[in-house]
Amino acid sequence: MDETSGIHRRGVLKGMAGLAATSAVGAFPMPAIAQNAPIKVGIIAPRAGTAAYIGANGLRAVEWTIEKINAAGGIAGRKVELVVEEETNAKETLERARRLVLQEKVDCIQGGYSTGVTLPMAPTLEDMQVLTIFWDGTTQDGVKETMPSPKYVFKSTDNECEAVMASLIALKHLKGQFKRIAAISPDYTYGRNVWTAFKALNKKFGIDAEVVSEQWSSFSQLDFTANVAALKAAKPDLIYCVLGNADLPIFMRAATSAGLTDTARMVLVQAGHQHGQLKKPFTPVGTLLCYNTMYFARPNPSPAQKEFVEYYMDKYKDYPHWESDRAFFAMNVYKAGVEKAMAAKGGSWPKPEEIAQAMEGIKVESFGGPAGMRKDHIAEEMFYGGFATHDNPYDVCTLKDTYSYDASVLQKPPGADFWGWLETANFPV
Amino acid sequence: MATVDLLFAALFNAAVLFLVTAGLQLIFGVQRIVNLTAGSLYALGAYFGASVFEWFSAQGGSPALLLPVLILSGLLAGQVGFVIERVLRTVYGRDEAFQLLMTFAFVLMFQDVLRYVWGAQPRLLGDLPSVYGTLAVGGFTFPVYNLLVMLSALVVAGLLYWLIERTSLGHVVRATAENGRMAEALGANTRRINTLVFVLGSMLGTVGGALVIPTTAASLEMPIALIVEAFAVVVIGGLGSIRGAFLGAIIVGVLRALSLTYFPELEVMSIYLVVIVVLVVRPYGLFGKAEA
Repeated sequence: MDETSGIHRRGVLKGMAGLAATSAVGAFPMPAIAQNAPIKVGIIAPRAGTAAYIGANGLRAVEWTIEKINAAGGIAGRKVELVVEEETNAKETLERARRLVLQEKVDCIQGGYSTGVTLPMAPTLEDMQVLTIFWDGTTQDGVKETMPSPKYVFKSTDNECEAVMASLIALKHLKGQFKRIAAISPDYTYGRNVWTAFKALNKKFGIDAEVVSEQWSSFSQLDFTANVAALKAAKPDLIYCVLGNADLPIFMRAATSAGLTDTARMVLVQAGHQHGQLKKPFTPVGTLLCYNTMYFARPNPSPAQKEFVEYYMDKYKDYPHWESDRAFFAMNVYKAGVEKAMAAKGGSWPKPEEIAQAMEGIKVESFGGPAGMRKDHIAEEMFYGGFATHDNPYDVCTLKDTYSYDASVLQKPPGADFWGWLETANFPV
Repeated sequence: MATVDLLFAALFNAAVLFLVTAGLQLIFGVQRIVNLTAGSLYALGAYFGASVFEWFSAQGGSPALLLPVLILSGLLAGQVGFVIERVLRTVYGRDEAFQLLMTFAFVLMFQDVLRYVWGAQPRLLGDLPSVYGTLAVGGFTFPVYNLLVMLSALVVAGLLYWLIERTSLGHVVRATAENGRMAEALGANTRRINTLVFVLGSMLGTVGGALVIPTTAASLEMPIALIVEAFAVVVIGGLGSIRGAFLGAIIVGVLRALSLTYFPELEVMSIYLVVIVVLVVRPYGLFGKAEA
């Protein structure tokens, strides 16, 4: 049973039907321009499988966000309603997105976790002229942007940002401490790309580390004893780990109990995905943890993050992660875009293309700090990482010192080639 | 050093595989049904074991009792075999395709039941294996919990051998497996034997799932992930053979560990390459019986 959505398709349909019926008999005439009708936002998020934990973070955050927005009068005076659809595979999710547009007539679509889904979905939504803001999905084929100049589709930060951050922190703070490196990752393009990026950055900064093992696990792999044995046999000083779903805590548990973490420093590129499951007994002090765009225990958080984290931990007995930030960011970018476009039109309701234009270059305050949407429709947010400490009141690790990076440092500029940019960029190491 | 670590990982994987495939083999050996629900029973055992241990802990139960509590919960969850067998009974003697389709229907139904009861998110049991600590011998570090699981699989193998080879019940089970009608004519209650065997096979699957949960996560992907390896074990060992399950599980476990070390991209291929070789050279498996 899922408690994440309080608003259901059936409920919205019944409400619409009731409204239409009362209008038909003349009891409550429908306004000529539906400026007082609620804004309908379609949400697409995974609710099953290993990504369900991530989807739940986003859904809970977007519900909290619209509650706050509606309590403050809505977006430009209109309340916001959510219509939630599940993200599964690309084909099914695209059908659900079409339904949101054609049947539910949503004003905007937000969500999307997997690039495998958003990559094929984005061109269709662009053709349908649907304002779309992805939480986490991109339109990158590997590291190549496939939609450089969209008009209606807005994408998240590049997938590689947190991996570049992991590499930069490792290079800055662990240089000289590792000579034998190994990787473990699910066997997909992202995992292979970020591992290649780490090796390229090592080379760029003059670190001659030997690659002693590369472990490519299958998706949803739930037993890592053999991988741990293979890694132990290779005797690495540093393990670059790109696991990020339920597989990450399982791997760390197996690695710790087999003594692998006693001899190798762990770099957990996607620690933020499962940080609530990375319990202290199997996440040693000194493990490099990357939290993506939100770190729940950030020192001096924004008032919004502080309030949300308290709400989340109290209600769900868990620690919110970056997908909460992405959902909050997407809704606030949309709100700011609508209000900016409306102000430019002297108070009349803007068209989708006018809202989209207003969102280009817009700045908002997200949970993770100052954030914005680039002119090429790619988000820029803050990223957080650092080394694990057990010195806190939680059952999970926090960061000894919090290192933060703006996405403008971690992400290739508009139109740039990722590999070329890695070679020429001036990184703060 | 590397060899010992690899062997340990391989044998742990083999221990879990053996428990589940032994159940599958037992059922096929007697009832001639390829029970696709083996993977679902394994997942059920994992989810149920996690819930039972969480409940046990909430009542103040000692974490040191992890292993016996999980075994008991697995045995309890395996009672679902009674219900499945009652339904399967309607297709005994029918074409194998009917039986296969019916067990497949159970797989799909189990998937929804697991999702409905436990939700879609994977469930972990925190750091419980560490309550048993690690064993350091000659520079090697072994998680004691994993050793206990391997020991449990050996005990189960021994008990199964004793039950089937050394007891009068085992004689009746073997007689039913050889020729059910003849056994019935000689006074054996084959209906009861079928139920007993199916429940015993189910319990092996659920105990396997319950035992593995502290080292992994219960998830909706478990049934398929398990069945892919379980069928390799069955084909290599020989359909219906417990000894085949034992050896097949070790072969698959070792192959997996070796391929992950030396050719990680070829993990599944290396296992199924051996499956194909066995199918071509010895189609009835290492311990299976050729059709008369």
